[in-house]
Amino acid sequence: MLRYLGRRASYSLISIIGLVTLVFFLTRLTGDPSALYLPLDASADARAQFARLNGLDQPAIVQFFTYLGNLAQLDFGQSLRQNRSAMEVALEAFPETLKLAFLAIALATSLAIVVGSLAAARPGSLFDRIASLVSLAGASAPDFWIAIVGILLFAVGFGLLPTSGTGSAAHWVLPIFVLTLRPFGLLVQVVRGTMLSALSAAYIKTARAKGMPRREIIFGHALRNSLLPIVTVAGDLATGLVNGAVVVESIFGWPGIGKLMIDSIIQRDFAVVQSTILVTAVAIFLLNIAIDLLYAFLDPRIRY
Amino acid sequence: MTGITLRLITAGLLAAASASYAMAQDATAIRIVLPEQPANLEPCGTIITNVGQILAQNVVEPLTVIDAATGQPRPKLATEWSQVDPQTWRLKLRDGVTFQDGEPFNAAAVAFSIERMTGGKLNCNNMAKFGDAKLTVTALDDLTVEIKSDRPEPILPTLLSVVMVVSPKTPADKAVNDPVGTGPFRLKTFNTQTVELVSFDKYWGDKPKVTAATYVWRAESSIRAAMIETGEADLTPSIAIQDASNPETDFSYLNSETTAIRIDAAQPPLDDLRIRKALNLAIDWDGLAQLFGDDIKRASQMVVPGINGHDDALSPWTYDAAEAKKLVEEAKAAGVPVETEITLIGRNGIYPNGSEAMEAMVAMWQDAGLNVKLTMLDVADWLRYLQKPYPENRGANMLQMMHDNNKGDAAFTIPIFYRSTGNYATVNDPALDKQVDEALAATGDDRTAKFKALFAKVRTDVVSDIPMFHMIGYTRVGKRLDWKPDITTNSEIPLANIGIKS
Repeated sequence: MLRYLGRRASYSLISIIGLVTLVFFLTRLTGDPSALYLPLDASADARAQFARLNGLDQPAIVQFFTYLGNLAQLDFGQSLRQNRSAMEVALEAFPETLKLAFLAIALATSLAIVVGSLAAARPGSLFDRIASLVSLAGASAPDFWIAIVGILLFAVGFGLLPTSGTGSAAHWVLPIFVLTLRPFGLLVQVVRGTMLSALSAAYIKTARAKGMPRREIIFGHALRNSLLPIVTVAGDLATGLVNGAVVVESIFGWPGIGKLMIDSIIQRDFAVVQSTILVTAVAIFLLNIAIDLLYAFLDPRIRY
Repeated sequence: MTGITLRLITAGLLAAASASYAMAQDATAIRIVLPEQPANLEPCGTIITNVGQILAQNVVEPLTVIDAATGQPRPKLATEWSQVDPQTWRLKLRDGVTFQDGEPFNAAAVAFSIERMTGGKLNCNNMAKFGDAKLTVTALDDLTVEIKSDRPEPILPTLLSVVMVVSPKTPADKAVNDPVGTGPFRLKTFNTQTVELVSFDKYWGDKPKVTAATYVWRAESSIRAAMIETGEADLTPSIAIQDASNPETDFSYLNSETTAIRIDAAQPPLDDLRIRKALNLAIDWDGLAQLFGDDIKRASQMVVPGINGHDDALSPWTYDAAEAKKLVEEAKAAGVPVETEITLIGRNGIYPNGSEAMEAMVAMWQDAGLNVKLTMLDVADWLRYLQKPYPENRGANMLQMMHDNNKGDAAFTIPIFYRSTGNYATVNDPALDKQVDEALAATGDDRTAKFKALFAKVRTDVVSDIPMFHMIGYTRVGKRLDWKPDITTNSEIPLANIGIKS
């Protein structure tokens, strides 16, 4: 196991170094930040001074080696926009995204397992049809539309929830609802499909013949054997959410890393772009390790 | 598992239903929702909208302020000023002023703030409005300073409106996020979600009715408007026209922005005066105005009313499609290559309905017999065409732009656009340069008259641009506040001017 973890870590390190290099040069290709940071009527002298003060007057390769040297000393650079450490900016935003992502994926997976399993237990029933309809609608509806309609209905119309922001438990309801809907829809389809195959397997027929209770057959035996594809899809969806829920973060004013990343790209805040990508890359690496370990836990035949 | 989940959801909804999301706070504390998070709170960046709307006149104050109605400088931290000679001004400073950190406000603090801004040790956005004059500040006594410049500066008191005076304890060589000034409010918190200001007890002036202000930010205009409607916030600037639907809370105001098309007058066929006039005449201005709402004001020059040099009597070009076609035909007959493709360079998101306006104008110019094609660019690419040096081989082109001058004087507009050395200029006329320099050196009524003459000349004889509209902003103000936006709202929201209805 330890050897496996070491191997995965070294592969990931190589990927992260490659990613950091790629991101460094790609961000430089987007152009000169002084065009965006200084007012339109700033003089050429002011632009030259801006470039000098921020080390942007050096050739890209010189800037890259300076960046690597600083990286080795855990200096991730200064945010041009916020006048403070870029890594501090990224690490401040990341937990906000992580909390949203964790809650949304946990809720979506739990609900999808229950709904998908019950739908698969009675294929063609009214419950199955409603579950399919709701899950398809959830998987297809655009986030921003659900978010705006949710605000108009529950905040402006009924006054039950705040429009946006953070601070109380109620502030979580709409963002979590919007973020949960799509993973829920997709996972219900996956759970239903895998459970349908599992429930028609010979060992399930044997269990039924032996008179085992229906609940134990579905949730104790069939579900356990269907979990691997569910974990794979849920893991993939979680990875997407850890990268940042840009639409939800923008509409609800949630200070997460997705919105930060997009804003930094648009504003050419190079150090923050690099730091946010580094943070999410490490998080995704850790998430993938956790998913691999979960495979081994769920299926004793898998050993590393 | 289902039971637990359902119980959790029910509990959450019940908790939400029992809560009230209208603000439960001190009646004199207000909440303002801005369109954008301020990137930083550096006082030298108050010309940036979201920094200025929080800091200017609230936390930090300048030496002078510009009167929104007259465009003239009025006293703030400087109480009076006089010009000793063309290059020297003497300022008397306000007595009894203290910085929020307890430091005294005096001549040394003013010298420090000017040196910090102009010294080149930090990125200072406000320098773009200040110009590049080299200043020497001398303290004559504790409350008198003499400012010498390396060239005549007839409008130095106006320029000083962008110098935010900061505590001498502020680092001189790096930008800060914890500004300390002399304003009626001091900064309490600044994080990724809010900025909080609270009243400064030792403020030199009248005590504002507002005692605390919390700033939050939401990009979506509809969300910001909804926050005022539900009582989650009290004020939001810059909402979209379609969200300004409640006459009780939504105010339109002439902001300081003017939209226009700049013509590259050096490139054929745009180097022909008849073609440039035809471009102005070919537009159905009343039809185009419908894109921007009923309150929009047609522009004849690049500064808004209230700015020194604006000429109310100067009439805008009117729509005359037949005359436009005739001028194009005349130019063609005289050998002007009118069939040459002219690229109209637009900027994505420059203002609401900006791309729709460009499409409509292209169609109208094509009807007049001109070969105009539209290219929409993002800001960074668009900037290459806005500022000198312009791209080589750019060909015949026109540029969509919006110019903001809320600094009281046409000096912040005319030399940039119309002097041959101007950063945005496309004309190169020594006679016009001379006229610009004379206007810039003039003072008082003579200065105003010279600026007006320049705008008239540009409108009728030079025609290097197509002024479109003086733009309108929309602001939603909660019912408990007594406040209306004006031309300065895009750059500052002084909390001291906000009343609270009892």
